[in-house]
Amino acid sequence: MFALPGYDAFLGFLLIAAAVPVLALVTNKLVAPKSRAGERQLTYESGMEPIGGAWIQFNIRYYMFALVFVIFDVETVFLYPWAVAFNRLGLLAFIEALIFIAILLVALAYAWRKGALEWS
Amino acid sequence: MTIATTTELICFLVLSAVVVIGALGVVLLSNIVYSAFLLGGVFTAVAGLYLLLNASFVAMAQILVYVGAINVLILFAIMLVNKREDLKAIANLTTRRAVSAGVCAGLLALLVRVVVTTPWSLPGPPAVGEEATARIGEHLFTDYLLPFEVASVLLLMAMIGAIVLARRDVLATDVVTGEVADQGLIEKARTPLLMNRAE
Repeated sequence: MFALPGYDAFLGFLLIAAAVPVLALVTNKLVAPKSRAGERQLTYESGMEPIGGAWIQFNIRYYMFALVFVIFDVETVFLYPWAVAFNRLGLLAFIEALIFIAILLVALAYAWRKGALEWS
Repeated sequence: MTIATTTELICFLVLSAVVVIGALGVVLLSNIVYSAFLLGGVFTAVAGLYLLLNASFVAMAQILVYVGAINVLILFAIMLVNKREDLKAIANLTTRRAVSAGVCAGLLALLVRVVVTTPWSLPGPPAVGEEATARIGEHLFTDYLLPFEVASVLLLMAMIGAIVLARRDVLATDVVTGEVADQGLIEKARTPLLMNRAE
């Protein structure tokens, strides 16, 4: 018996997921041609010729999106227990959650208005 | 010792080793990008420890927020300023190390005190799995309602603060030309995130 009841499926998932990269690499080793020269040594970049190094300075736009993502990620974490306990909580909790979402909609509207969601 | 407790012990030892070695790597590695990726591994291992304590919701939140969002934010922040500068020797290194050691020892003393003084016995059988998450939801919408709603205001403030900081604000002037800068996002600017303010 596993130490945590109800996590047998999770353990199985974890083992299969850990086996996927191992199997992929082993299969590659067994099946692929043995040549190690030329283009085999290039970094795979979606079939394109890789340009430059990987250690480049990222565009600051990514940082803006990551900031906004953190906020809404935390919001998701707060709403998840509400979704799980939805049937027991009733109407009052529904209204409270609506207030919570409404306040964060203000944040979304602000971010939208200020152009933080736009790429250009 | 039954097989269940043995499995739990092995899981605990492996996860603890990953946390300790990973944390040491975060501090000691000279390449800051490796440190950031190792930090993600440490966060994931801590989530595994939460899972081992039957706190599945906390483990999920740990993965979602720390690995999924905060660690990505840290990586972006590092790659934004990815200047390969040589690390210079810092003056007063011994003093700095002594001060750091003092602060860390104080934190350790605080943690030890908390561990010793906390009553660890539970009032009843612990809630497991989905029941635990549902109970968190019940508490969140009854006796912890005010902190829950205040959290939304806090998130609103964090969002507005982040956007205001990342944009050039009205008082900011262009460092090069000295003119008042426009309200465009910082990404259009030549200047870094934290720029000089006009006097």
